[in-house]
Amino acid sequence: MNKPFFELKNITKYFSKVIANNNVSFSINKGEVLALLGENGAGKSTIMKILYGLYEADSGDIFMEGVKQKINSPKDAMSLGITMIQQHFSLVPAHTVTENIILGNVKGRIDWKAYENEIGELANKYGFEIDPKALVKDLPVGLQQKVEILKALHLKTKLLIMDEPTAVLTPQEAENLMEFVREFTSSGNSVIFITHKLKEVMEVADRIIVMRSGEIHGDLKCADTDEIELSRLMIGRDINPPARIEADSEADSSEIRLQIDGISVVENDNISRLNNVSFNIRRGEIFGIAGVSGNGQQDICEVIIGALTPSSGKILLDGEDITNSSIREIIEKGIGYVPADRHRDGMIMDMTLAENMMLKDSFGEKWLKNKFIDNNKLKNYTNSIIKEYEVKAPGAEANAKGLSGGNQQKVIVAREVNNGSKLIIFNQPTRGLDLGAINHVHKTIFKERAKGKSILLISTELSEIFGLSDRIAVIYKGMIQGIYNRSELTTEKIGLLMAGYTDDKEV
Amino acid sequence: MINILSRALMMSTPLLYGSIAEVYAERTGMMVTAIEGIFLMGAWGGFVGAYLSGSLFLGIIVAILAGIITAVSYAWITVYLKQHQVVTGVAINILAVGICSFFMRVIFGVPIIPLTVEPLATIPIPILSQIPVIGPVFFNQNILTYLMYLIIPTAYFILYKTSIGLIIRSTGENPVAVDVAGLTVERIRFIVVLIAGAMGGIAGAFYSIGYIGMFTTNIIGGRGWIAFAICFLGNWNPLGALIGALVFGLAEAIGIYMQSSGGGFFPNELFIALPYILTIVLTITRKSFNVPAQLGVPYKKEN
Repeated sequence: MNKPFFELKNITKYFSKVIANNNVSFSINKGEVLALLGENGAGKSTIMKILYGLYEADSGDIFMEGVKQKINSPKDAMSLGITMIQQHFSLVPAHTVTENIILGNVKGRIDWKAYENEIGELANKYGFEIDPKALVKDLPVGLQQKVEILKALHLKTKLLIMDEPTAVLTPQEAENLMEFVREFTSSGNSVIFITHKLKEVMEVADRIIVMRSGEIHGDLKCADTDEIELSRLMIGRDINPPARIEADSEADSSEIRLQIDGISVVENDNISRLNNVSFNIRRGEIFGIAGVSGNGQQDICEVIIGALTPSSGKILLDGEDITNSSIREIIEKGIGYVPADRHRDGMIMDMTLAENMMLKDSFGEKWLKNKFIDNNKLKNYTNSIIKEYEVKAPGAEANAKGLSGGNQQKVIVAREVNNGSKLIIFNQPTRGLDLGAINHVHKTIFKERAKGKSILLISTELSEIFGLSDRIAVIYKGMIQGIYNRSELTTEKIGLLMAGYTDDKEV
Repeated sequence: MINILSRALMMSTPLLYGSIAEVYAERTGMMVTAIEGIFLMGAWGGFVGAYLSGSLFLGIIVAILAGIITAVSYAWITVYLKQHQVVTGVAINILAVGICSFFMRVIFGVPIIPLTVEPLATIPIPILSQIPVIGPVFFNQNILTYLMYLIIPTAYFILYKTSIGLIIRSTGENPVAVDVAGLTVERIRFIVVLIAGAMGGIAGAFYSIGYIGMFTTNIIGGRGWIAFAICFLGNWNPLGALIGALVFGLAEAIGIYMQSSGGGFFPNELFIALPYILTIVLTITRKSFNVPAQLGVPYKKEN
């Protein structure tokens, strides 16, 4: 047996005092597809960033074909034939495909024509339909990822590392990517991909490294294992996903709570962000909207909560027109909103949990005593939330930014459940959370539905959409592709709808 | 008329040095808000250097050094210490005024008559300067203006046709992409600001020893900020900056002409204010901007 292509030995990495990688060792062979499986925060990205020279390990060594290497920067990694595609692409949106691909890898005067031809040919060779002169910002996410891959191919990469590559793709695009991975490795190259999706792992990996809390908890051949074993290794305990609770049969016939009627949002330059969107949500119903991110989901939320004024169309809540109501009026009418970007729209990270708790109803009398904030009441309430939602936090006075993503999300969910007495909008409620926190959020959604509240669930995770929704709409380029009962959809069908193929059948 | 055009080109020269410096720096994401101070330090350094050594050439060298020192302190604070670019720039601009007046006093005391040096001479280029209209306008200028003729195409060429230009443009749009490509964002920004400081120093020297041969602490009078504005108006492109600088140079030349010819119908002050009014009008009316996406944002690696 030859020496492995790359080998990591006893890598340890601390972030301030938190251990991110503890004595991690594994290897990758030529022509192999290695999956690095683990939950968020398990240390997968960290170990790969060490291999790529973005982080420096506190101790441990890296070997290439048995020879010890010093990798202090991405430049060193690239010269050894390693390229890493970050989870959030590192492309320059305002530049062309060619400019992005050759950045940092050319010297002196640039012959644009020659490079454009070269990159066009490279793209053709792998069957990527990419115009080398196109601006990256005009390309859909799937193609942007291909630009990243082309960047690696242009460098003649032998080991390609991809961080959560399928997170932004439709199922068809993901399948496409897997085909590329097989083709790329068949000629002796290696691929490591970081993921938390078990299905993908089983589909494409030759070998699987399972990481948990910064340590390796399994190094298995794909053929020798199964999804159940992997998930146990990954989580370290058994997780019981909330059993799907079917809605009361009367929900079908029950009254319509939210009615969205022909909503369009058109920007100045005549690009429509939402195009004639209509749907209803009944009392006690979970209405899911599936779609690749960036297809108008954010706009739907903002229209409903009053942050964005639609160009045309109407929104009715319990029959009352709220199209032109202000954000504050809509909060007071009982619509809660868990935003997709919790750092930007959800909380103020430098304020305490208690202060964050009253963010959205600070104008009311609720938290006042003699016209001043009743700090005791607020603190007690927040502490009760911390207990009820099992938030891991020192107390109501803790700063929001000190909490993990999952615990921050619990605080927001608690606040919005309280605000949303009639309707709660969940936009990507579990993005970036670990399985425990995901479970908690899902349980909360079912619990609130059982109280008769209406839920709008927007997610790019199909398993979440299928697991929770009573009815499912698919959105593509600001248009609803169709509304279906859950049982009418398959993964394949929803994938096609998400990519813009429609059939004519609607419910 | 020819006189005004020739004067316009002359007055646009320092603005071009300054705005091209600013274009380059801002393309890497660095808003050089210290440009007014850099101009002033250049003007002061140029004058002191020339007066003490008796050589205008040495004066310009000192101006370049003064510009670099100012730019380096700005870059150190903003690039490496990650402080706010606007706040830092404003502080340095105020500091520059203090340094100049203090050291003027220390070196020269309080002179009874204003100190002067012989300003840069115009060098008529043989044959070319004889061409009617074009000759006296373009080929009867001083050395710094001639140098400018080379800098404009070079600046354009480097920015759009070379790997260095690609790196500079990428740094202002998405430093992460530059980092991942194995380049050091901080170093790129620091070096570009340093070069901008050198050019800003020359621009400053132009005001002191380029044509009046004197120094006062209000000699720059906001022209650094005008160069700053030209960078915006020129859409972060050296050629756009050229057009912008010519417009402002012309406005300034007309102002000076009206002032010396006694004006006539309009009050003098209107023409003196012309470049400043123009800045406001053009900034408001300019429609689409290609602002570098990360302009003014310090680069902090997660970690």
